[in-house]
Amino acid sequence: MDGYFGSYLVVALLAGLGVAVVGGAFTAGRLLRAQRPTPEKLITYECGVDPVGEGWAQSYVRYYVFAYLYVVFAVDAVFLFPWATVFAAPGYGAVTLVEMFVFLGIIAVGLLYAWKKGVLTWV
Amino acid sequence: MPASVAQGVVQGVDLLAIAPPLWLALAAIAILIADPFLRRRRPLDYASLASVLVGLGFVVALAVGQDRRTFCVPPGLARGGPAPCSYVVDDFTLLFQGLVLLAAVVVLLMATPEVHASRLPPGEFHFLLLASVTGALTLAASRDLISLVVSLEVVSLPVFALTALRRYDGRASEAGLKMFLVSVVSTAVMLFGISLVYGVTGAVHLERIALVLADAAVPQTIEATVGPARPLVGAVGIMLVLAGFGFKVAAVPFHFWAPDTYQGAPLPVAAFLSVVSKAAGFAGLVLVLVVGFWPYGGAWGPLLAVIAAVTMSLGNLVALRQRHAVRLLAWSSIAQSGYMLAPLGAALTVAGGGAGGDAGAAPVLRDAAVFLDAAGATVAYVAIYAAMNLGAFAVVAAVARHRPRNNLEDYRGLARTNPLLGVALAFFLACLAGLPPGLAGLFAKIVVFRAAVSGSLSWLAIVMAINTAIGLYYYLAWAGLAFAGRRERDEVWRPVGVEDTPVPPTVGIAIGVAAAATIVISVAPELVLHVTPLAVAATG
Repeated sequence: MDGYFGSYLVVALLAGLGVAVVGGAFTAGRLLRAQRPTPEKLITYECGVDPVGEGWAQSYVRYYVFAYLYVVFAVDAVFLFPWATVFAAPGYGAVTLVEMFVFLGIIAVGLLYAWKKGVLTWV
Repeated sequence: MPASVAQGVVQGVDLLAIAPPLWLALAAIAILIADPFLRRRRPLDYASLASVLVGLGFVVALAVGQDRRTFCVPPGLARGGPAPCSYVVDDFTLLFQGLVLLAAVVVLLMATPEVHASRLPPGEFHFLLLASVTGALTLAASRDLISLVVSLEVVSLPVFALTALRRYDGRASEAGLKMFLVSVVSTAVMLFGISLVYGVTGAVHLERIALVLADAAVPQTIEATVGPARPLVGAVGIMLVLAGFGFKVAAVPFHFWAPDTYQGAPLPVAAFLSVVSKAAGFAGLVLVLVVGFWPYGGAWGPLLAVIAAVTMSLGNLVALRQRHAVRLLAWSSIAQSGYMLAPLGAALTVAGGGAGGDAGAAPVLRDAAVFLDAAGATVAYVAIYAAMNLGAFAVVAAVARHRPRNNLEDYRGLARTNPLLGVALAFFLACLAGLPPGLAGLFAKIVVFRAAVSGSLSWLAIVMAINTAIGLYYYLAWAGLAFAGRRERDEVWRPVGVEDTPVPPTVGIAIGVAAAATIVISVAPELVLHVTPLAVAATG
């Protein structure tokens, strides 16, 4: 159990144990339970309510644009937070401030492009 | 935070050194923003072309001055030895940057009529193309694994979109999706390999990785944790990185995406893929292997030799059966990848007299100089191949305007109705086959053969000789079609060029530029020979 590869053995053992527990529980359940299916029991379980309609449902593809725009700003924030904690520290100064605004400028270009292409208007 | 550390926090950046990629990135953004504001789209074509030419100017200006390096590790953190840098401008960098920009000029010239004929969105097309070129420029200058991977992704990501830009064409979408999936998987494999390499070396800079792999400066922490498993884990990591690059350069067994993608993509994009994308892959491969992983040459050398042999054989054999011009070029470009890999595979045997063998027993090398010639041969072949292949694609683009099916049979009689086009096609194909009219292809073949033969890897040389003969057949059969006359069974015969609009001037210029580049390399092969990234590493 020691050495470089030995430490991976623990991971493998744990993974095997996990599979055994879950698999064992399901197998035991299958062996022990009574099996008397009726049509009602075989329909898809949906929180106790009878399911309505098909499994395939349409959703608005235009939402994906908003998802993209959200990701742009989420990534933006990921970089902004660590920057905000250090940019006032000694040694950083104006260069760091300008650098972040260059970055924000590039992000803003994305927004400008989206706006000009008419993405932001709701149809 | 102590003031002394804080002083080193904000690094100066050598703006001239990074001028080519910086300029192209700004140009790409400007074009993307200008597109929705412009009523007419024609200026975008010119702006895009002009920005690439200005970038070329920057590269020429850098070539006049001495080597530059920036984004270096601060001297205080260098752990002894010279501080490694992430961005280095040397002859290797400049050659690849010049190559990429010249190729981009040809691709843009080819694209001008295509963008309008295929109703591609011009702003997005030019933005994506310039973004990909930016990635290729940074890749050639990157000297650490993280920069390499990021720039490799900057090369690849826009190309997926470019491939699928003909949204009304199902084949284009399939091509884009196929390439996307393959590329993502290959990146994941490569990243895993890189994480293993980082685990056994504790370094991301290629120079420093080489030091640790050569057992010169193994960090204490790594010796304590990884210990004796170090060579094995390192070798596995290197193999995985190799596999990742294998996808990018379409080497067997990672080649299957190439023909479908080339065929589905717009022709200029296919040309871009087969030249710029492939050149970027090879630049990265040469950097990683020759600057970073050379101490383990005994492990990857023989493997690379086998991959090279299989790649050229399979590529050529399948190319024999192709009837579609672009698919033939795709398979031939796979075969050409094999030739490019061969010198690297043969390098080790040059000095060691067969030091390689099986990966486990191979000794750790002490000197990177072994790989100097091999790297030079590969780089030269990539540069020469780029010029020849772009030319062939440009001719195909000119013909494809009138023959959308683009079968080889469509080229019958081309030289009779349009002598310039026909002769150009024959010239580029002969060069690709390695025949004399343009000496470039011949030089490339000789360089690779010399690397294989002097490496006493005679079986590889024999495989290459057979492959060259196979290549001769299908290249010359195609070139011969251009000069052939009417078949007896044809009732009506209308070769390209009769009753057709003439070749657009930009495509004509593209063919001219590619031909000029091929001829210049034929006359002065020293421009591309003996350019290696090893100027610094050889002393290490």
